[in-house]
Amino acid sequence: MEKRTGSPYPKIDRPVLALVGVVLVISTAFFAWSDRQHDYRYYQYQFRQMVAEKFGADLAATTSSGIQQVWVPGLRRADRCTTCHVATNWKGFETAEEPWRTHPVEPLKAHPVETFGCSACHGGQGWAIDTAEAHGEVAHWEEPLLGEGLGESYSLVDNKKALMQMNCNICHRYERETAGADMINHAKKLVQDKGCRACHVVNGRGGTIGPDLTWIGDKAPEQYEYGRLSGQKTAFAWHVAHFKDPRALVQDTVMPNFHFSTKDAQALSMLVLSWKRAEFDVALYPGVARTDPQTAEERKAEEDMRTGPGGWFVQTGCFVCHSISVFGVKSPAQIGPDLSIAVEDVQARFGRTIDDFIREPTGTMSVVLSRQIILTPEQKQVAIEKLRQAFAEYQRLKAEGNAPSLSR
Amino acid sequence: MATIKGLLKRSPDTPEAPGVHPQALWSFRPRSDREAGDAIVSNLLLHWFPSKVYKPSLDWSYSFWLGTASAALFLLLVVSGLPLLMLYVPSVERAYQSVKDIEYVVTFGWWIRAVHRISAHLMVVAVALHLVRVFLTGAYKNGVGQGQCREWNWVIGVVMLLLTLFLSFTGYLLPWDQLAFWAVTVGTNIASSIPWIGPTVRELLIGGRTIEQATLIRFYVLHCIMLPGALGVLFAYHMWRVRKDGGLAKADHEAVLANQQPVPPVASKTYTLLGVARGTAPTVKVTSVEAPDLTVSAVPDLTRRAAIVVLATFALVSILASAIPSPLEEPANALVTPNPAKAPWYFLWLQEIVTDTTIRIGSFTINGAFLGGVILPGLLITLLTVWPWLDRSSALSTGRWFPKDRRTQNAMFLALVLLVLVFTVIGMFLRGPYWNFYWPWEAWPEIPARI
Repeated sequence: MEKRTGSPYPKIDRPVLALVGVVLVISTAFFAWSDRQHDYRYYQYQFRQMVAEKFGADLAATTSSGIQQVWVPGLRRADRCTTCHVATNWKGFETAEEPWRTHPVEPLKAHPVETFGCSACHGGQGWAIDTAEAHGEVAHWEEPLLGEGLGESYSLVDNKKALMQMNCNICHRYERETAGADMINHAKKLVQDKGCRACHVVNGRGGTIGPDLTWIGDKAPEQYEYGRLSGQKTAFAWHVAHFKDPRALVQDTVMPNFHFSTKDAQALSMLVLSWKRAEFDVALYPGVARTDPQTAEERKAEEDMRTGPGGWFVQTGCFVCHSISVFGVKSPAQIGPDLSIAVEDVQARFGRTIDDFIREPTGTMSVVLSRQIILTPEQKQVAIEKLRQAFAEYQRLKAEGNAPSLSR
Repeated sequence: MATIKGLLKRSPDTPEAPGVHPQALWSFRPRSDREAGDAIVSNLLLHWFPSKVYKPSLDWSYSFWLGTASAALFLLLVVSGLPLLMLYVPSVERAYQSVKDIEYVVTFGWWIRAVHRISAHLMVVAVALHLVRVFLTGAYKNGVGQGQCREWNWVIGVVMLLLTLFLSFTGYLLPWDQLAFWAVTVGTNIASSIPWIGPTVRELLIGGRTIEQATLIRFYVLHCIMLPGALGVLFAYHMWRVRKDGGLAKADHEAVLANQQPVPPVASKTYTLLGVARGTAPTVKVTSVEAPDLTVSAVPDLTRRAAIVVLATFALVSILASAIPSPLEEPANALVTPNPAKAPWYFLWLQEIVTDTTIRIGSFTINGAFLGGVILPGLLITLLTVWPWLDRSSALSTGRWFPKDRRTQNAMFLALVLLVLVFTVIGMFLRGPYWNFYWPWEAWPEIPARI
């Protein structure tokens, strides 16, 4: 057998190949090790010790081990929170530190973890199994854990945990009142009292002067104008500031300043942000309202206003800002003077007759009559006549000594 | 057991006859040239190597083994793609969730995905660098061998680069997150700027007028079957052509020089070296590249180096995959454009050019998408493809780094490469919201969150 021709390479190539082999083994060990680095192993181990201490080794052997998951097909959620929050359904750890604490029993009666999972109410990222990712404190996850920490960062009035009520209202949005959701209930009452529907459509009903708010919670945070907002640049912060003083954020807005308190503004912001589309499984919500009907009294009051002597002002939209008390028309916003005495009032304010002013308005009315409420010359004539009728009615009531008190 | 041992161990009584291979598996340490040669003949994978290789073509500093690295990355992509194929669900409702599952709960899932992603990025880099190397060494040129047509292998190489880019691009969409959705939106919008047929091309690409389920399944099939299949076939042909063309171009050059015979002045085209080699005017005696003192056995010298490159590539990818987490942005949302919306990094130089050639005069806008997105890349690809036929440099400069008579074209080429790099870097690091320019030390405006 002839010898093999000598090669110029092997001397250095062999150790290099060996070195590459060693690096490959190390890199394999490295990723295998990285794959095991999860805090839940510690939490589960610790919980086993706690149970053993409290209830004995037999029960400790039944504690969960490995990744746990609640799969909610109707909501398309796989929540792995119970991997770390091992004590959720255990009794006896009510005062333990998180993640070893028992979940309060009351909300779970109607919303068992096995059926609803966790993230539908608490927010956060159910897919994840590590704290930061699961609590949504990472980039590219828009649903943070709606917990106390986040509430504190917004200095929520009263209850720092209230942000979670936003998620209650995703399913309970059509209820007038929901047990346990105080802030949301408060906001819903404000929506009724302040007459937001005079300008905004909510759930298919309302005026068209302002934007439709039915799904406003879906509006992306990037789509708000933050130029005049100081502090946190979030949709929630924007709404709080906007409710407190609309004009401070949007200069040419026609939305009146209702002088809401901080609590009001926070409650309303939570309410509007909860108005978003979500996966909805009707089987999960037996007995929960799925439409938002008016009560009989509300319907009657509205009907009276619309068909009464002041109906024209309601249909035209004047009533959004102006009451016409003599006709029983009550403005929800009441930012303009009562039109019952417009004939006299316009003369006093502008030194012009009502005919002249309606035809050639100045100031705010020139903006409103050129943008929000556009009237033909014929309609303007109707308006003038109606206003004269209102004033005549006012003088008649005044003569009788029954004149209503007017907002100016 | 005895059979396996028999297979692995050489039997001393096996006759050394032609066509009889005493060993079923090849040896890393052949004891004779015969055994080294047998290793090539008897092994399916190794038989694409010649049994003897021209020594200097194995040099690290000549080819940098970029083609081998690209092939190793392709292999890694296929192998890491297989488990992903079983875990990923190509539906707009479930794609994002399935990637989340791969990332969080599948054992080693995050690593497999990261290996796939890192390999894909590195493959674009490796293939591009391979092309740069081949250009700079004039390795697409025919040297002294008979029947060479390296220019066609160059064309195949250019097609393979495009396939690599398109493979990466189609993979981009699959996670169905914001990054994916908008990178593909930008990419396909550039395609739609072609006059007349643009909208049709876009519709063909995305299977409709909006990026939806039809797009996802189209990209999925392209990504998993058609493009890798095409690349695999072209890869096999590419390798075969390398063999047919006499190995790396370096061999041609060295073969001439090793001869030590003076090359007479070239009077006209008739007397070019090519003509000489083909035997029209036998002035120069060309040594055989198989001369014993200039060659080494492919087994083990070539195979060992190939093993070093392939395994080192694997190790590098594995380490990078463990260290760099793969991004997954918010679920795709057609109503919210991330700001800025960027194309994949290897197309950013085009996006940058598109912006720079978009000119606004008052309310009138000249859209740069056609120039930057269609004309310019089309021109560059055409130039690349036909360059071997335009290149007039001597066959003597084949397979050499920076030969004198290729100085101008190499400088031009490098300038173009540099320009592409500069535009890429600007697009990657210096473009912020609204594609505004930000220096690295300037902070981008805060990105708002929901709550």
